[in-house]
Amino acid sequence: MSASTMPAQTTADIAHAYRQERAKRAKRSAVLKHIFLILTSLVMIYPLIWMFAASLKPDNQIFGDLGLWPSEFQWENYSEGWNALPVSFTTFFWNSTVVTVLSVLGNVISCSFAAYAFARLEFSGKTIWFALMMMTLMIPYHVVLIPQYILFLNLGWVDSYLPLIVPKFLAGDAFFIFLMIQFFRQLPRELDEAAMIDGCSPFKIYWAIIMPLSLPAMATAAIFSFIWTWEDFLGPLVYLNDMKDYTVPLALRSFISTDGVSQYGPMFAMSILSILPILLFFIIFQRLIIRGIAMSGLK
Amino acid sequence: MQKFFRRNFAGYAFLSPWLVGFFLLAIGPILASLYLSFTKYNVVRPPQWLGLDHYVHMFQYDQRFWKALQVTFQFVVISVPLKLIFALGVAMALDKGIRAIGWYRALFYLPSILGGSIAVAILWRQLFNYDGVINLILRLFGAEGPYWLADPKYSLWTLIVLAIWQFGSPMLIFLAGLRAIPQELYEAAEIDAAGPVKKFFAITVPLLAPVIFFNLVLQMIEAFKSFSGAFIISGGSGAPLDSLLFFTVYLYNEAFSFLRMGYASALAWVLLLIIALFTAIAFWTSKYWVHYENERG
Amino acid sequence: MASVTLSEVRKAYSSMEVIHGINLEVQSGEFLVLVGPSGCGKSTLLRMIAGLEEITDGTVSIGDRVVNDLPASQRNLSMVFQSYALYPHMSVRKNLAFGLSNLRMPKDEIERRVADAARILQIGELMERKPRQLSGGQKQRVAIGRAIVREPQLFLFDEPLSNLDAELRVQMRVELAGLYNRLGTTMIYVTHDQTEAMTMATRIAVLNKGNLEQVGTPFELYNNPRNLFVASFIGSPKMNLLKGNASGLGVDLGGLGTLSARPGTSGPVTVGIRPEHLGLNQPGDLAVEGTITLVEYLGSELFVYVALADGQSLLAQAPGNAQFKRGDTVSLGFKAGDAHFFDAEGLRIEASA
Repeated sequence: MSASTMPAQTTADIAHAYRQERAKRAKRSAVLKHIFLILTSLVMIYPLIWMFAASLKPDNQIFGDLGLWPSEFQWENYSEGWNALPVSFTTFFWNSTVVTVLSVLGNVISCSFAAYAFARLEFSGKTIWFALMMMTLMIPYHVVLIPQYILFLNLGWVDSYLPLIVPKFLAGDAFFIFLMIQFFRQLPRELDEAAMIDGCSPFKIYWAIIMPLSLPAMATAAIFSFIWTWEDFLGPLVYLNDMKDYTVPLALRSFISTDGVSQYGPMFAMSILSILPILLFFIIFQRLIIRGIAMSGLK
Repeated sequence: MQKFFRRNFAGYAFLSPWLVGFFLLAIGPILASLYLSFTKYNVVRPPQWLGLDHYVHMFQYDQRFWKALQVTFQFVVISVPLKLIFALGVAMALDKGIRAIGWYRALFYLPSILGGSIAVAILWRQLFNYDGVINLILRLFGAEGPYWLADPKYSLWTLIVLAIWQFGSPMLIFLAGLRAIPQELYEAAEIDAAGPVKKFFAITVPLLAPVIFFNLVLQMIEAFKSFSGAFIISGGSGAPLDSLLFFTVYLYNEAFSFLRMGYASALAWVLLLIIALFTAIAFWTSKYWVHYENERG
Repeated sequence: MASVTLSEVRKAYSSMEVIHGINLEVQSGEFLVLVGPSGCGKSTLLRMIAGLEEITDGTVSIGDRVVNDLPASQRNLSMVFQSYALYPHMSVRKNLAFGLSNLRMPKDEIERRVADAARILQIGELMERKPRQLSGGQKQRVAIGRAIVREPQLFLFDEPLSNLDAELRVQMRVELAGLYNRLGTTMIYVTHDQTEAMTMATRIAVLNKGNLEQVGTPFELYNNPRNLFVASFIGSPKMNLLKGNASGLGVDLGGLGTLSARPGTSGPVTVGIRPEHLGLNQPGDLAVEGTITLVEYLGSELFVYVALADGQSLLAQAPGNAQFKRGDTVSLGFKAGDAHFFDAEGLRIEASA
């Protein structure tokens, strides 16, 4: 009988072989994936590393050189860059910090107010306001820019930080409202009700229950608000004309427009410094940022 | 009356900052900008009524308006699909518990966070310089790259590459969407002897359709709005030969370089309508290709 | 302690009415259980008493004060929620003290009350923990503790035991009953579980589709259900129902025989008989024959499912040591006095022998 001449193959053996084959295939595809991902990461990250390297290179090495290792380390690019413009970068960083800190504060307070109203309170006209709020997500800043400019001009606010900061206290960024609403809705409503019975006013519920439980959402909003305000270019470009009022991005732009031919090293040095706070925030709060995007599904 | 007041008081109290902002900084300006678009206004003198003159001029005589439209559309039509395809590809490679996923995710997302900064725009000018990094790499392969920044035929590509470089945020959203697809479906398809391509088109794409749609709308709006990259790389003017004259750059210059606020407002309204139209088209067509899971039929 | 009076209370969402004019008097110091199937409006009713839902029409009074327009915090009541609703970011102690500090009560008074509650509920060693570090039963205790520190005149419970496993539920039921005996405060308790209702209530109010079906002591509800709904809702296992036809001679149960009881009407009726009143192979005023389709052994007793010749099915209860098996033919005997009669509208009719 043929069965006796062949080594008996049990179903367990077949299953074992199948599993091994599968595991081998999975491993091969994982290796391929990693190669693809590593190559992509390198392409993604190379420009940034190159910029960092360029910030330490002598000017004559910046062009025509792919390498990442400066022939000599020109640390003075940083000190030169810091004072390359008529006003020192100390001022620009201070200006950016003031605008950013106040903007973050304004966004977190005003947007959480609006989000609390939409997520937790009942009032007539709520659905209409909500729809209008969602529609403002779509409005390009350019469309409201001119009338806003005229308004602030008439208020005498141009050449001050008020046009950059005051709108943040008026919950202008619907993205943050939306993000917070999403988060608030996950909190059980019974908490509010228990607090209501415990004698809380709506404000006390917001302050003592909702806010402490929404720290991750508030942090996410604060981080994004920080990054976007820090990087904001159009707003300062329109409202700030005096160099001593410039924020860091505006100051960087002056490097290009002053045609400083021999200033590439210092320019990259300041570019690196300008993104350093963002990089630090990103490294520290990476998890929150990434979860925030997945949660809100925006930006 | 008193009851009505009490029922609504808290809600409107909390909403009040937003309401003020909404009227003063959103809906008010939009209507004001509609009015201004019918006037000649240079900030110094009061607006003069012109009726539809700006729109007539824009559509009939303004070559730069058409150029700006063309540049912007070209940018949107090329960069958005490429960015989404790339984002989806990488998201799929990252899906299913690959090792070090946190690292990759962070690295891929980093450009999205830095992409809007002036530092990166400045860097991009350098990368695409004739003696810049891109051409040096091409020379390694024996190819001679063009004058990316000076040649109107190529200049837009610098910005398209910059846009694709920032594929991180749609990627994260795709990743969240892929996670939500039940693994059993792929196993069932495997039992039904479906290959990887079949699985992609029969399971991944249809189940991901809502996410694809969402990303598409979002990235389209973002692309229409993009400004600082084009502004910096073109030196603020849309040069060379207006090949980087994004609609937003044109609008900015009309308003703040030439103080033609009325005309710029008309441009702003055209931009608003274009974005609204594209969003509407996306939503309208979505019912033919996007099926939500909790929907019947 | 306070009485609660609902008169003509209605609730409508936009135009959909979900509570259809309820009149209910809860006496001071009473443990009233609101029971009904899910969606019957019992929770809505409780939340209207609490002040968490607006009252569309009618009045709710606590004590002799109409509270319709009074916010929840001023109604002098406390509530225990199904999900406990403990504040996740506060320690147990803070959870207990939170409501009192909102009332601007002096610190030492707060401490005294919190310590009292901790002692009564034996949660003293949990005081510094956060809710996520507590087990289900411990959370439940803290939730009750938060309710009792207020020393309110009225306690409201919204399905407080439904998140607990079966064993813990029985234990908490006993503890709640003990707490009620100790405090003697008026309590209104919502549940869908008729066992909870039967075991704890002074009186039960049965709700169905936004209407009050019957209010009475557990004994009254079990023995004199006012209608078919109450009859089949109260009691586990459920009451058996048979179709019949009443006439001056008695109630004709189709082919099963005639029951010598004379309800005041004639025409189609429903005859209800509880499983424990069906004697397996025992005589009665009437005995019907059938085949056993299923036997459920519970240890102390047996549930025997019997299919009758006409296709109807009955459930009978037998002691745990009885010997029955599937396929056996048995006769089920019962007394006419144990039967309940309901007319075509499902309303109870009293019968004379």
